[in-house]
Amino acid sequence: MDWFYPFLQAVLNGMLTGSLYALIAMGMALIFGVMRIVNFAHGAFLMLGMYATWVMFEHAHINPYIGFIPTGVLLFIIGAAVYAGLVRHVPVQAEFMIILLTLGVSLICVDSILLIFGADYHQLNFPLLGKNLRLGSQISLNAPWVISFGIALLAAAGLYMFVMRTMFGRAARAIAQNPYSAPLMGINIHRVQAVTFGLGAAAAGIAGALLLPVFYLYPDVGHLFNLKSFLMVVMGGMGSIEGAAAAGLVLGVVESLTSLYWGNEWALVVDFVIFILVLSFKPSGIFGSQRA
Amino acid sequence: MRPRTSAVLITVVLLSIAVLIGCQNKGGGNTVKIGVITSLTGSQAAFGQAHKNGYTIALEELNAKGGINGKKVDLDFYDDQSKPDQAVQGVNKLVDQDHVPIILGSYSSESTRAIVPVVTAKQVPLIIPTAVADNIMATGSPWIFRLCAGSGDYAKATLDFLKNNGNPKNLAIVYESTNFGQSNFRSMSEAATAGGMNIVDTEAYQASSPDYKSLLQRVKGKNPDVVYFASYLLDATTLMRQSEQANFNPKYYTSAGTGFAVADFPTEKGAGKYANFTYSVAQWLPSASWAGSKEFDEKFFLLTKTHPSFHALEAYIALMVAAEAMKKNMTSPAAIRDEVRKTDMPTTPFGPIKFDAKGQNAHPTLVTQVQDQHYKVVWPPDAAEAKPIYPPPTWSQRKKSGEL
Repeated sequence: MDWFYPFLQAVLNGMLTGSLYALIAMGMALIFGVMRIVNFAHGAFLMLGMYATWVMFEHAHINPYIGFIPTGVLLFIIGAAVYAGLVRHVPVQAEFMIILLTLGVSLICVDSILLIFGADYHQLNFPLLGKNLRLGSQISLNAPWVISFGIALLAAAGLYMFVMRTMFGRAARAIAQNPYSAPLMGINIHRVQAVTFGLGAAAAGIAGALLLPVFYLYPDVGHLFNLKSFLMVVMGGMGSIEGAAAAGLVLGVVESLTSLYWGNEWALVVDFVIFILVLSFKPSGIFGSQRA
Repeated sequence: MRPRTSAVLITVVLLSIAVLIGCQNKGGGNTVKIGVITSLTGSQAAFGQAHKNGYTIALEELNAKGGINGKKVDLDFYDDQSKPDQAVQGVNKLVDQDHVPIILGSYSSESTRAIVPVVTAKQVPLIIPTAVADNIMATGSPWIFRLCAGSGDYAKATLDFLKNNGNPKNLAIVYESTNFGQSNFRSMSEAATAGGMNIVDTEAYQASSPDYKSLLQRVKGKNPDVVYFASYLLDATTLMRQSEQANFNPKYYTSAGTGFAVADFPTEKGAGKYANFTYSVAQWLPSASWAGSKEFDEKFFLLTKTHPSFHALEAYIALMVAAEAMKKNMTSPAAIRDEVRKTDMPTTPFGPIKFDAKGQNAHPTLVTQVQDQHYKVVWPPDAAEAKPIYPPPTWSQRKKSGEL
């Protein structure tokens, strides 16, 4: 049984990290699914979420586990505003324009933060960070990771229910299926897309808020997650939010196990090998067959 | 029609280039420009900022004393964003557009290694303040000069210290997979094998990951007496916090300076109390006995309200060395290079500065331990201010005693 506890510990650690990956990827998948936009500003939204949470903690002593709620609202507003002010004016067919536009938004966000807060890194320090939950004698889980995991799962489930079970979600899915006939059915396409973009940004922002206590922040931190979330969106089936969530969890666990058995330097390699395998043998993604 | 149009076009392009070059040459006059490349933004911004503060203090001192032969010194900063390709862009910009005769920088080994071929090709001298990877000096470029001790010296100092303090046998090396990390890994594994230690584990890792718990769990499984980290600040903090979470208790946490040696590391901005008992190599401390150390510390404190780490002082010294050489002869980059080579400054806050044939300054390496959130020199004995504490209490003992 010597091998079992390290294995279990690594799987649990991987799930904790994976839940945050999942939430980040779901936001990107939602935007991609409804609008066919690869949002390169996603990492920047995550970074904005981290900064918003950090400012609230530093200046108003709002615990990040409460602060993630106003952060989500703020990022929703920013996301919806970016859509209404910029994205909706670019024709849908001009994919390259959209990529440039979101890249531009990302640069503006990063450089504004640089201008306001400087390049220095910051991290949170509060007593909870040192608390570990012990399960038996062998397994220990860091409390802030566990709380982040719980909130990330709730947020992900909420997002899923919202898209699958509400009228709004139905409208969003209708646009995803056919953006030309959806407005003929009486759907206000711009409003739905603005809300979708906002929700995607909010998911990234909340993930940022939850990541903050266990990580650190600096203006460029978002780029660490941009590529990875795109990876998960593709693996999950280009726009399937449940697929992206599953891909996030899988990557988290795979990275953790790779670190344990082969070494951390291989983690990214294994990520990409899985990515290529999925693309080669199931190009529609893990959950791809369910969606057009 | 066609040939004529293109002839006109070519003339216009040539003319505008000529005008551009003309404009730039006017910069001469009464100021001397010195190029600086460092990481003002990106993940190594904390160190780039330390550099900038060091340069600023040196610049003020220089200009207060009349600059270089009566000419005011002007620093031309280029931010490499903590990325090697940007550092290369920096050399191109500083040399081709701004025509600086000498460059100081960059911060990291990664960026510095990338610019060595470029400064060599452009024939501009480069003074390296902080990059410790030994493959930088191994290039043999006659245009580079390094102030700091290298990764080989780091490994040697750490092993000397261990040999005389408990003489542990089993070593694990954990390093980030960059030029800095790999160079320290190579130096340490060669020196440790030669010194008769068993290397029980070597782990390369991807820098800036949120989660190193599985990595640490793996190292813990190999049961080393000593772990040697080569990490930058943000990862150093994560590694120490997660060492507690993984309940990883080696007898010695040693490190190749950098993330473990920067002023923020033992404070609440870094790992805080989790930094206690870690060892690091250091090139300088504010308490060093070299003349001028205290004054530099005071000036730095006035400027930033914090105490400097050695990275700031190394930047300060780099500018001073450049200025000293340029005072003697600054007719061309080659002339400056020859003067830098002849540098002989017996008393600086960083000790005596003199370059060997390869351009390396012989600088002694100290070993420090964080005790009660302060760096204390514990090795070599003639510089030691405190006794090393080993083995440290385990993480659970530290929790129980209320330290954490």
